[in-house]
Amino acid sequence: MSSRRPRSWQSSSASRITDEQINDLVSKLQAVLPEARIRRSDRVSAAKVLQETCNYIRSLHREVDDLSERLSELLASTESSSAQAAVIRSLLM
Amino acid sequence: MQVAEAFKHAFLKQMLLGFQASVVSPKSMGFQERKSAIKLSADVAMAVARGTRKWTRGLIAGLSKEHQNRSFLQLILGEQYERLMKPCHSSWKIPRCKKIVRRSLRVCCRRKKKKNQVGVLARTLVAKRTQELKILVPGGESMDGFSLLDETLDYVVSLRAQADLMQSLLTTIEASKLRSHSKGTLPERKASYVGN
Repeated sequence: MSSRRPRSWQSSSASRITDEQINDLVSKLQAVLPEARIRRSDRVSAAKVLQETCNYIRSLHREVDDLSERLSELLASTESSSAQAAVIRSLLM
Repeated sequence: MQVAEAFKHAFLKQMLLGFQASVVSPKSMGFQERKSAIKLSADVAMAVARGTRKWTRGLIAGLSKEHQNRSFLQLILGEQYERLMKPCHSSWKIPRCKKIVRRSLRVCCRRKKKKNQVGVLARTLVAKRTQELKILVPGGESMDGFSLLDETLDYVVSLRAQADLMQSLLTTIEASKLRSHSKGTLPERKASYVGN
């Protein structure tokens, strides 16, 4: 049965993914984290990067939630047509 | 790492559709309802702007699980809704892949114990820390360690862009309101501006 499984799928597991690839991803993640969290010049442990990434995602979720509130407040006192016009203006910028 | 210009355009276009669909006017919606509609529009806009990724599928799937979202989603996505809701054809492979991963890790351990000890350790560390990420990244529960990292990177970059674009929308709408106010109440301003 197992011999019928295509070879390419079977080997698409951890044995094909190198440490180099994982390290590359981790350093890319470190690079997108804001300066305040990790000094991007230092090499920090993968565990630390992942931990800070989780914190950053949570803070981004909060930021979007806050922005949704502020947009809601603003649109409460704005005609929908002018709000749409503003969006179109942003598109053209 | 930055999103493409195309992402920004697609995001704003989709936000516009969301605004139109939810008719975000004070007469028809309460504060919380409008906020939820805006947040939903923003998440859909981000997923649509990014295109096909594991996390975008996970996000749309998660959003449409909420019964009240479904009609709104169909409205703003149109025919894209069906395409995005199609189950990922490779998802059945992933749980089995985990068994293979574990088996090959054990084999790796036995065969190349000295050489690959650091490699296996790194992978274990990553595996432990990814539990939290699996909850935070949409669709993360069904991703293996490497995909999860890859999707996380993409998701973080997109989230950052989403927040930035929403902020610029806020600024633009505020600015246009100020302009319309000043035009209405101070007509002499126009003359002095032209004079200069």
